[in-house]
Amino acid sequence: MERQVIQSVGFRNIKEDGAVTGFQFKVRLPYYRGIFLSQLRPGTLFVDGERFEREDIVWNIGGEDYTCEEMQTDRNTHWSVTAPAVLKVKKEGGLSQGWHSLKYGFCFTSSYMPPVVQENLNPDEENFVFMPEFGHHVNERRLLIV
Amino acid sequence: MYQYNRRGPKRGVALYSYSAEFGLTKSLEECFEDICDMGAHGIEILANTHIENYPYPTDAWVDKWFRLCDKYEIVPVEYGNWIDSYVLGGRELTAEESGEMLKRDIRLAHRLGFSVMRTKMPVISDDLAPVSNWRKIIRLALPTAEKLGIRMCPEIHTPTNLKSRMVADYVDFIEETKTKSFGLNIDFSVFRTKFGEGDYRDPNYTPNEPRDLIPLLPYIYCCHAKFIHMSDDFEETVIPYKEIIKVLKDHQWDGYLLSEYEGADKYDEGYEVGQTLRKHHIMMKNYIGD
Repeated sequence: MERQVIQSVGFRNIKEDGAVTGFQFKVRLPYYRGIFLSQLRPGTLFVDGERFEREDIVWNIGGEDYTCEEMQTDRNTHWSVTAPAVLKVKKEGGLSQGWHSLKYGFCFTSSYMPPVVQENLNPDEENFVFMPEFGHHVNERRLLIV
Repeated sequence: MYQYNRRGPKRGVALYSYSAEFGLTKSLEECFEDICDMGAHGIEILANTHIENYPYPTDAWVDKWFRLCDKYEIVPVEYGNWIDSYVLGGRELTAEESGEMLKRDIRLAHRLGFSVMRTKMPVISDDLAPVSNWRKIIRLALPTAEKLGIRMCPEIHTPTNLKSRMVADYVDFIEETKTKSFGLNIDFSVFRTKFGEGDYRDPNYTPNEPRDLIPLLPYIYCCHAKFIHMSDDFEETVIPYKEIIKVLKDHQWDGYLLSEYEGADKYDEGYEVGQTLRKHHIMMKNYIGD
């Protein structure tokens, strides 16, 4: 697993029944502890400036698919710091061959942090104070599709 | 299972210290071997970080856990868990729901051979006051903890003071319930005396004297040996370790001092936390005399 949040391995187009229906990439959890899915606050994805809403991204954790809505109430499934999640995005025809700039934001809640920190969580913007053990909310990476 | 029978303060390591490396450049086994190199025998894990498939590890993983403890002569000392009452975001869990979550951790801590838990409370204010129903949550879990010989310990951490209302509330609870399954983990950040330029100092913080530990010793089952600045001649320059360890020894306190390195520089490219921990253990070894 790479130190960067967006991993280079796992970035490719998704084929279903012979047709390319979208693409996927992997992210690791940059926190010092794993989280229950209901702690996750998924944000918006930009690929070369094209916007993908959180509702249109499916997270695959431990081999199971979860929508944004399903994760909101799931306080038993746990995402570990040692295994990246796969994010699956619908896009007819997928991404073209060549370089792509990915920009994606997500963050998570922590019951032991003061409420003021929790209330202002925004996955698409950095916290007002950067704490390395929580990682950055928004991460970017430039990667190739073959 | 390996046993370390020394009485008095004993050395251990909190795996939290490896946060920037765990899963990237260090495996669980490499963390164990690093602790073994230091001649330390205690370990603290974070349940949500270091247990594969938490909260439901496989029997094969549990077997591996005990194999590592035996191979590297490590005692499972403290199991770090959280009472995540705000896990849902939208609403706070009921005391019963939080209690069930806590009992699940107690059973898992016991399954892995631990006897102390660092039970992190959910907080409701900037000065880290715990949720108002913490007594009810703990009471719901006490029978399970007592049956399995587990001691739940909230961590007393800067800016909290050892003489604060918060600590007195915990002590009152222990006295009221007469329980041996709830106690304290003291984080040595409460003894910090010096702040350098650019170091953050919480406006609510007043340093404690090492002797402030004395009335609390019967309730302390574990300490976070927090360290911040280790000099090249192996002294902690901002926390009075010599005096703290003397208090613990003079009063025959028996338990583990778990090294916890919280410095943000451990996330810097090329930083080697193992060497920082070794410096700390050279110092502790000198003062403990083990």
